[in-house]
Amino acid sequence: MAKAYRLIFDENLCIGCQACNVACRLENDVPEGVYRLQVHVTTQGVFPHLGMHFERRSCVMCDEPPCVSVCPTGASFQSKDGLVHIHESQCITCKYCILACPYHARFINPVKNVVEKCTFCFDSRLSKALDPACVSVCTTEALRFGDVSQENSTVAMLSRKETLLFPKAHLGTKPKVCFIPARKGVKV
Amino acid sequence: MSPMWGSTAQYEVMHWSWAIAVYLFLAGISAGSIIVALLVKWNRHERSNSSIWDAMIKSGTLVAPVSILAGLFLLVADLGRPLSFYWLLIRFNPLSVMSLGVLFLLIYTPIVLVFTLLVFERTIVKYTWLSPLGSFIEWVKSLHSYAKTIEYFLMAAALCVGTYTGFLLSALYAIPLWNSPVLPIVFLTSSISSGIAVNILIGLVFFKSTINTESIKYLLVLDLRVIMTELPLLGIFFVGLLYGGGEVSSMAKAALSHGGLALVFWLGVIGIGLLLPLATVILALRSHVYRVGYILTNATAVLLGVLLLRYYIIYAGQIYLG
Repeated sequence: MAKAYRLIFDENLCIGCQACNVACRLENDVPEGVYRLQVHVTTQGVFPHLGMHFERRSCVMCDEPPCVSVCPTGASFQSKDGLVHIHESQCITCKYCILACPYHARFINPVKNVVEKCTFCFDSRLSKALDPACVSVCTTEALRFGDVSQENSTVAMLSRKETLLFPKAHLGTKPKVCFIPARKGVKV
Repeated sequence: MSPMWGSTAQYEVMHWSWAIAVYLFLAGISAGSIIVALLVKWNRHERSNSSIWDAMIKSGTLVAPVSILAGLFLLVADLGRPLSFYWLLIRFNPLSVMSLGVLFLLIYTPIVLVFTLLVFERTIVKYTWLSPLGSFIEWVKSLHSYAKTIEYFLMAAALCVGTYTGFLLSALYAIPLWNSPVLPIVFLTSSISSGIAVNILIGLVFFKSTINTESIKYLLVLDLRVIMTELPLLGIFFVGLLYGGGEVSSMAKAALSHGGLALVFWLGVIGIGLLLPLATVILALRSHVYRVGYILTNATAVLLGVLLLRYYIIYAGQIYLG
């Protein structure tokens, strides 16, 4: 049966340690200056009512990926599990997919000169039934990953319990990465 | 918002640079000049004498292949991996406007080249090293009963090439300033206007045939009509964006008011590309002074304006992402 992967980022648990970011770089050999994954940390509010805002910036693995439909060579493709990958050999680096991505998740790997992005660590981990590197190192369990079609999976249970926000949901891209927004507000 | 941690460098890269802007310009010129040449051939051509219309057809068939080939070269050179471009030819994705563009160009370019050979037959047969082409031209001429059909086909292909460059950009909903249904029409109109300008320019410079007051007047009126179409279309394009709400509105506002890029638009696209030709055309027609100099100034200004429009749209879209 096809998988229904979901990655949940809980902003309430994130402490902005960037362990996910570092793990991603190590696992996927991401060159300096570019990122498959980073957590943007911003301060919000007016002193003394300050709060921290954590935003995961990465590929959100759309079910309806605009980067796949624009690719002229089929290098950018969707697997039967709904994951979006790139055939490096067929990528001509026309950069059309980079421009088509509303999440700005794609970039050019300056070493290989091909378009690259998060793969949920498919080759090195997910295909061996291991969680993506970022999830495996998250110090506060702010990142949860699994198959939402399995009723007893952590992500399925979390999805039933929490209000999930899907980034730029109005675009109809149906991301597989979603987040639990901060419950605590700040004075603006 | 004050970012405390996080790099935004990778979101600020101009992935499509000036080379793409110039390609869009060249593809537009090519399609526009062949559209104008065909219209002239069907409607204004006088076989018996060499007139300005002959020059328009000659320059159209000269400019179209040169500019499309130069444009395609730029396009391939701008790829991150230029030597892998053959994947574009062996794969086809009907959902991708880029793929459709490749298809249109593969149909369009060879027909344009054949059309050029036919128009310049007399020049070609003069050179012995081009003699193999002679027999090819003879074979093509044996198909003359299909000539009109092929011309209609070429017209359709040119319209596709002139329009697809707009759809290429407007297909991306990630980029608010590109994602407008008016953009392909703006691009087609401005490519026809660049086609008229380049045909006039090359026609007057290289194929200078009988230039009389009547033909100058006609060309000036033609110029006027195109400018009067393009101005409101550009207006509609931006009004549409400004009424788009949310980030579309704010991005359009920023693109029209901030920095050097806004200057490129107001001074280059509107000022040099549209208002300057408009003023000279109106002045010339009013005072009944028909000078070749006016036409040449106009054509150059129009071409510069069309190039700057492509440049502006390409960069503004990528800078004002929302």
